[in-house]
Amino acid sequence: MTRRFLTALLALALGPGIAGSTLAADGETLFRFYCAQCHGIEGKGDGPNVTGDFPVDPRDFTKTAEMNKLSDADIRNVIIDGGPIADKSPMMPPWGKTLNDAEIKALVEYLRQLCNCTGKTG
Amino acid sequence: MKRAAHAFPGLILLMMASTVARADTAAGQAAFEETGCQSCHYTQGPATEKSIADQLAKKGPELWYAGSKFQQPWLEAWLQDPQPIRPMKFNSVMEPSPGGHPALNADQAGPVADYLMSLTSDVVEAGAVKVKKKNLKGKLIFIKKMPCSGCHQFPTKKKFSGGLSGPSLVGAGERLNPDWVLAYLREPKVFKPVKMMPVFVGVLSDKDMKNVAAHVATFK
Repeated sequence: MTRRFLTALLALALGPGIAGSTLAADGETLFRFYCAQCHGIEGKGDGPNVTGDFPVDPRDFTKTAEMNKLSDADIRNVIIDGGPIADKSPMMPPWGKTLNDAEIKALVEYLRQLCNCTGKTG
Repeated sequence: MKRAAHAFPGLILLMMASTVARADTAAGQAAFEETGCQSCHYTQGPATEKSIADQLAKKGPELWYAGSKFQQPWLEAWLQDPQPIRPMKFNSVMEPSPGGHPALNADQAGPVADYLMSLTSDVVEAGAVKVKKKNLKGKLIFIKKMPCSGCHQFPTKKKFSGGLSGPSLVGAGERLNPDWVLAYLREPKVFKPVKMMPVFVGVLSDKDMKNVAAHVATFK
């Protein structure tokens, strides 16, 4: 009984962590494939497209203070509709026709790992 | 009867020409396989990639629709002097293209180009894009409204500009079939089910896709 209780407790404790890390791994794969071309493989805004010709500075996702100003919904909206939805550059493409809801969710979670922040709520 | 007698030699000639064309295609396929092209390029459609892992497992671009995508004179010349089209290594955002694509000799390049040009996709609508000297609407979309130039190099008055992660579009007017560019924008998943370029279906209208394809066709 005690062992079963402890096992259940362990599962409860680890469950969200395991689920989170699975999603984060998917998020990392998605990030490296779709986002790193502009935002850089480590998310510092320094991907191969950012040459002297690039008209804007892609967001550096490791800047905690800046990323904390954004809610998850803000990030999600820009991923779906592109930069212009937040008065940012059209160099940030609309990915809403490319990525599904689960992929966008995984990406938002991965960006939260990169910034080590939770962002504003609401 | 007299007319039929005249038509008969014509028919024979047509059949002979067709046989010669098939022979060239077969010779091209043989050369393609002998020179090891298939170790990096697959030629059997339709596309089967279902995940990022599937896409990343590919060593080079798929060629099963090469005849719809490329222009024959460009292809034959490029096979003999294959300069990188992508600034970055295929499927990489970290490593620049190492170059070094194997070159074919002139005897091989013609038949291989003929073979590749025989590989087509039904999705490509011939004559759908009207190419003129300029397409200002397409230019505006390419440079300002959409992020095309963020990932693709394109020619400018000075030399060229644009990002590095996508294939360069410098010289696209000679390289790509504008009708294929349109088909790729209209139905990207037919050609590349999983790709680094965003899907613009539902973002750009069909008319705007035609404008972009016509603009890309002006790139020298």
